Amino acid sequence: MSEGIKLKRSGSKKRENRAGNIIAYIILIPGGLIMVYPVLFIILASFFTPEEFNSTILNFFPIAENPTAVNWKNLIALGADKAIRNYYFNSIWTTLYATFCSVITSFLGGYIFARLKFRGRNALFTFMLMTNMVPGIIATLPTYLELVRFPFFGGNYVFTGGTGLFDCYGTYILLFGPCLNVMGTFLVKQQIEALPNSYEEAAKVDGAGFFRIVFVIVLPLVKPMLAFIAINTSIGCWNNWATPFYYTESADLQTIASAISRQSIFAGREGTIVDYPAIMSYSLLLTIPSVILFFCFQKYIIQGLVHVGLKG
Amino acid sequence: MKTKNQFDKERLYATDDIFVSDGIKRKKQKERIFLEGKIKKKISKDVIIAWSILTPMLIWWLVVSGFPMLVGFVLGFFEWRNVNAVPKFVGIDNFIAFFKDETYLGDLGRTIVFGFGITLVTMLTSFACAFLLNRNIKLKGFLRSIWYIPAVTSPVAISHVMSLLFDPFKGVINRLLEGAGQEPIILATNIGWSIALIFIYSIWKGCGSGALIWLAGLQSIDPDLYEAAEIDGANKFHRFWSITLPGLKPISLYVFITGIISAFQIYEPIAFITNGGPYGATNVLALRIIQDGYQNFNFGMAGASGLLLAVLIMACSAFTYKAMTKDRGSL
Repeated sequence: MSEGIKLKRSGSKKRENRAGNIIAYIILIPGGLIMVYPVLFIILASFFTPEEFNSTILNFFPIAENPTAVNWKNLIALGADKAIRNYYFNSIWTTLYATFCSVITSFLGGYIFARLKFRGRNALFTFMLMTNMVPGIIATLPTYLELVRFPFFGGNYVFTGGTGLFDCYGTYILLFGPCLNVMGTFLVKQQIEALPNSYEEAAKVDGAGFFRIVFVIVLPLVKPMLAFIAINTSIGCWNNWATPFYYTESADLQTIASAISRQSIFAGREGTIVDYPAIMSYSLLLTIPSVILFFCFQKYIIQGLVHVGLKG
Repeated sequence: MKTKNQFDKERLYATDDIFVSDGIKRKKQKERIFLEGKIKKKISKDVIIAWSILTPMLIWWLVVSGFPMLVGFVLGFFEWRNVNAVPKFVGIDNFIAFFKDETYLGDLGRTIVFGFGITLVTMLTSFACAFLLNRNIKLKGFLRSIWYIPAVTSPVAISHVMSLLFDPFKGVINRLLEGAGQEPIILATNIGWSIALIFIYSIWKGCGSGALIWLAGLQSIDPDLYEAAEIDGANKFHRFWSITLPGLKPISLYVFITGIISAFQIYEPIAFITNGGPYGATNVLALRIIQDGYQNFNFGMAGASGLLLAVLIMACSAFTYKAMTKDRGSL
């Protein structure tokens, strides 16, 4: 249709349009370069050996004199030392766990709040949405205090000594666990409410149980939204440096993201020079997977973002 | 099930207003009792499923975020200087101390200025980008994806790239400046550049994703409206002013409120690029809360600042929501 309108337009309009397009190119392409620049920088810097990295001053587009793949080899799990393998392991399992939990809770929660009728449903949901408006910063310290004094864990008996759930795998299991994902529940609920009820009715008449209806009939219909929630959670969790940094201490519990933050914050605290080669190689580990994930699933991300923006 | 229930109910109350003999009435009553039982049973099955799935998730939610949030609301009223110490209730002493201390007030002021500044500048740039990305150009899809990349990259990694570029010894920018005979930018002493870097980082981070949301808003406006306006002789500016802007109102509310919420809690660029310096000129409340909590173990003060920040954010979003929805009734 827009083509038709364009044909009707006069020559001057066309010229105007072309001028606008050129301006768009002039701004968007260099802008796009700026947007990917740090990722490019990290990738290029990864071809330096640590010695070369330390002895030279990197250009805007650093190109190593003798590019080596030694960093890449060191980063791949087989060649990596134990610490990096640990970071990898922690990052991956927490991300998978958090993603699974948030998808399952938003899906089941969304279905329950959309379709099942029980007393106090709307009140409960409104309450959850309101608590979602409370900024997270208020809970950062209390979470730490709660973890440290968590009863019955880590040599902790009702408020006496011990470390509770601070600094152990339990920290991650608790914090990334299946707690109701309010935003995800909201999105799924909206999506299910927009769907017709008839499939579920038909299945119910045929004698299908709750889980059968939910997983066989409803799940395929809300898949794009669940994909959006999954990708958002996994990228968020992969980049989450704060949870490991604040709520754990020992080195073998860190993830890649928190390893970076520890490098620079401890260097700042102790007044030593920041170990940039290490930070750059961790950054490489950190950025590449999320960028790849984004390019694989960008359709869902953009769809979901549009949905959130228009209806959220 | 809903229809079946309704059907049962209709049968149940169908005879209410009709004059019937006693025998039939009794029969109907029996049936009513039977059917009511059935309906109740049906409802209770729903309830059982719902609560048996919701309860674990809600308990988990209580432990992970409900309880900490509640503690966060009262922590500011206690004096608590050691994890193992017993917190002592001190009323609003912490808040009085907050408003008497100039460093805290400075942090609060900077939080507000940075928060609004970053939100507004990011909104404007992403709005302009959305118009450019909305044009029918080649590479449209590719450029949109590229512009979204900052939103998925790790804040920690990118902050470190930035601080590496500006590093006094290893940074390329300072070397180029020295080569051109200029003063090098030392972030540890240069207030202007420190603030500028935080803004640059935040705009870089938020521009692309904001643009995509604006874009969704632009594309949700009915194109027929533009056509009609064009036929009526409205010029470009008129069309923008009376079709585009009102159509974007809900989106702008969303972008502004989410922007405010994240910009008031800005943490990563400040912690990793400037670390609050030079001389506390970029220190904000979020950073102060973490310092108070994890370095000084002054949980009461951290709680007070956290509560103030949270109330500030909530008040801002509520006020914007009210102001934007007032003249239209609802969005």
